[in-house]
Amino acid sequence: MASTAAPSRFVGIGVRPDASASRFVHKAAALSSSLPGAAVVKVHQHRSKARNGQAIRCAAATGKEQGAVSTASSGERSKGGLRGKLNKVVLAYSGGLDTSVIVPWLRENYGCEVVCFTADVGQGAIELEGLEKKAKASGACQLVVKDLKEEFVSEYIYPCLRAGAVYERKYLLGTSMARPVIAKAMVDVAKEVGADAVAHGCTGKGNDQVRFELTFYALNPELKVVAPWREWDITGREDAIEYAKKHNVPVPVSKKSIYSRDRNLWHLSHEGDILEDPANEPNEDMYMMSVAPENAPSEAEYLEIGIVAGVPISINGRDLSPASLLAELNEIGGKHGIGRIDMVENRLVGMKSRGVYETPGGTIMAAAVRELESLTLDRETMQWKDIVALKYAELVYAGLWFHPLREGFDALMEKLTATTTGSVTLKLYKGSINVASRKSPYSLYREDISSFENGEIYNQADAEGFIRLYGLPTQVRAMLEKGL
Amino acid sequence: MSPHPVRAAPNLTSSPYARARSATDRTPSNLALLSPCSSLLIPMTAIRCAAATGKEQGAVSTATIGEQSKGGLRGKLNKVVLAYSGGLDTSVIVPWLRENYGCEVVCFTADVGQGAIELDGLEKKAKASGACQLVVKDLKEEFVSEYIYPCLRAGAVYERKYLLGTSMARPVIAKAMVDVAKEVGADAVAHGCTGKGNDQVRFELTFYALNPELKVVAPWREWDITGREDAIEYAKKHNVPVPVSKKSIYSRDRNLWHLSHEGDILEDPANEPKEDMYMMYLEIGIVAGVPVSINGRDLSPASLLAELNEIGGKHGIGRIDMVENRLVGMKSRGVYETPGGTIMAAAVRELEALTLDRETMQWKDVIALKYAELVYAGLWFHPLRQGFDALMEKLTATTTGSVTLKLYKGSINVASRKSPYSLYREDISSFENGEIYNQVDAEGFIRLYGLPTRVRAMLEKGL
Repeated sequence: MASTAAPSRFVGIGVRPDASASRFVHKAAALSSSLPGAAVVKVHQHRSKARNGQAIRCAAATGKEQGAVSTASSGERSKGGLRGKLNKVVLAYSGGLDTSVIVPWLRENYGCEVVCFTADVGQGAIELEGLEKKAKASGACQLVVKDLKEEFVSEYIYPCLRAGAVYERKYLLGTSMARPVIAKAMVDVAKEVGADAVAHGCTGKGNDQVRFELTFYALNPELKVVAPWREWDITGREDAIEYAKKHNVPVPVSKKSIYSRDRNLWHLSHEGDILEDPANEPNEDMYMMSVAPENAPSEAEYLEIGIVAGVPISINGRDLSPASLLAELNEIGGKHGIGRIDMVENRLVGMKSRGVYETPGGTIMAAAVRELESLTLDRETMQWKDIVALKYAELVYAGLWFHPLREGFDALMEKLTATTTGSVTLKLYKGSINVASRKSPYSLYREDISSFENGEIYNQADAEGFIRLYGLPTQVRAMLEKGL
Repeated sequence: MSPHPVRAAPNLTSSPYARARSATDRTPSNLALLSPCSSLLIPMTAIRCAAATGKEQGAVSTATIGEQSKGGLRGKLNKVVLAYSGGLDTSVIVPWLRENYGCEVVCFTADVGQGAIELDGLEKKAKASGACQLVVKDLKEEFVSEYIYPCLRAGAVYERKYLLGTSMARPVIAKAMVDVAKEVGADAVAHGCTGKGNDQVRFELTFYALNPELKVVAPWREWDITGREDAIEYAKKHNVPVPVSKKSIYSRDRNLWHLSHEGDILEDPANEPKEDMYMMYLEIGIVAGVPVSINGRDLSPASLLAELNEIGGKHGIGRIDMVENRLVGMKSRGVYETPGGTIMAAAVRELEALTLDRETMQWKDVIALKYAELVYAGLWFHPLRQGFDALMEKLTATTTGSVTLKLYKGSINVASRKSPYSLYREDISSFENGEIYNQVDAEGFIRLYGLPTRVRAMLEKGL
């Protein structure tokens, strides 16, 4: 282990005397000695310990004999894998091909137990029984499932909604908000099951790897992190299927979509295939959460959204929990073709990418809250709130959810939106949202002042003094220019 | 300090608020703006204006002829350029100015795309109300290329929705008035804006910036006319023909960029404003951040906007209903129709997604907020706005290409985007591995990007 003798700031960053417990287990080839002061892990040490084709048998939690994951001899539990040694890894598990393959790969490469973790963030019906069987068939010793929907909406989505956070004009941060809630749950699960590491199935080309890992750092910097996609040789679907077969892992039978999708209660994203050329319009058959505006009802629907302190709490007078409210708005919005977003965005990891997002309920919520703010926020407040919203979106997009600046912004937003209470009626029609009505007991709009009739509160003569003083700098500069 | 209705440039050798005082002692120096004119000493109010045509000016009242040098009820001005629309308000202002300031009145009408201006009728009307001259200027191309396009390029939107239609028009009109004042030798300018709105600010800040020596008269802040009936009565009393057009219940402002509506039921933001087509694909060609063509046809800025207005209007595009914070302090509710502008903005913003990198887009959007505030507040002629334009010119130099939009029943959706300067590369962003992007690099990136997070967490955990 290359912890330098000098009091490096990096001593103690998950580095233990046992060289195997390096924070970042990664390919030796990727190591660069130019990383200043970083703890450099010598992975070759572990290679010498590894035996090719080594099978690691995981002690199954049920006591049932684990199907051998390879034909090689059984190793002892303390033996490392091809790349290092970990004890127990919590893996973000979806049941798809990628994460199914990661289970045996982790065991083969790190000689560890694998606990699969699945979060319900509203991605659609999770067949729990089938999932547990699948997880164990691929070699996991346990499957943990947590329903995070209400937490997702009330503690991650609602703060962003209240702040008005939108990334690069259009993106409503659906995936960005979900990763931290999942990653936080993984850190909790790691503690519950006594794991020393966490792993995710994100590729090395996207933002999600950043979002997961920054959350791990923030909540438990001692956890080791494994990102198989950045290490292994599997380059695509065929490789993965081959690997699965070699390790006796049942290959999921579902037909893989040509699109890469991410779905949760807030949105459904699509990337890939013809979308990779921004000159192409998406095909109508790609969409899943919303109908085409042309096929939406020709009769508009009016919806009254009740709002308290900057977040929605009711639809047409019915109070609903955050997740239920969002689910219902998704249905209504989807029916009317609301919330389709097609954009080219700047990823954190450096390139531009093109994605299409369906955010029916969220688009309705955002429209309602923004509209109510036009009654309750004065000019100074709205100005700065909108500037901060830009930065807020950047932080969330970049995976810096667990960050004091975001937390500080939340404290600010809580203050600024304390009086954003009332209701907004929206008219939904063939993909459009139009405001039909707005009301608030805290409205700063007064008909008696703004109407064309003269009133007591506003004296038109005052405008002269106002303009004279407001325009004084302009006058002075003009006089300077004219030599007056 | 008593407010004086006639303002002049501050005299540097004395108080900045020194006023040009009329020679005549009849000038009420402490005129309370709200006191009725009839309480003043001078009963006769007729001042005959020397008509430019030589034709005998119809007497504007039955009183005796006054000398040209005689002041009016409130002071003395020589010649005032008035922003004139031919409507009831500005028609009444003409005799009011003459009565109160003993001046000649030159009416000025700007064509900023508000709709067919019947020039013959307008000149007659102006003179019938007592003006000695009518000047008309077509400002449409200047309006679009020198005021609208910079705002469009900057992405300026006020309070999330307002596309600044009226805010951009006032400075171009006010600047033209300053030019006309020079051309006709006027010493003052006047506008028909009320004392309750933003427009008075936008006109007057422009006057200050371009010619601080011009005096400014804002009749609405001075006179006693409180509504339509008063105005009609005043007009009759001064033999001014009352415009016959039925006044809309809404207060409207129209130009090539937009049509705004305020008043009546709109004044209650709880009320919905009272009104197929198959979809349409439109290709907008863009060069350096502003549109240049529709479906391959190059058009002048004003023609392009006019055509997009027609197309957009047909598809119900660009209706904006909002409650906004006025500069003068209160909230007001207005509905804006900005069909062509909404299409333009969508196209330019979409092309920027290809041509602007992350850092650029971030700061461009922060500045756009301030840019909109300046324009909304009437600070068009301001070095900060001009500085922002220089910045925006740099930032949008490569925003060239074309965007195809799909218009359908009030919505705009992007169908395609192309640019020779696109920073989007399929070979990098696709799911296939490529040469340019090495996935392993992501690890080092995350480790360094996340270092502050790790250090803080270690601090919190006593590590």
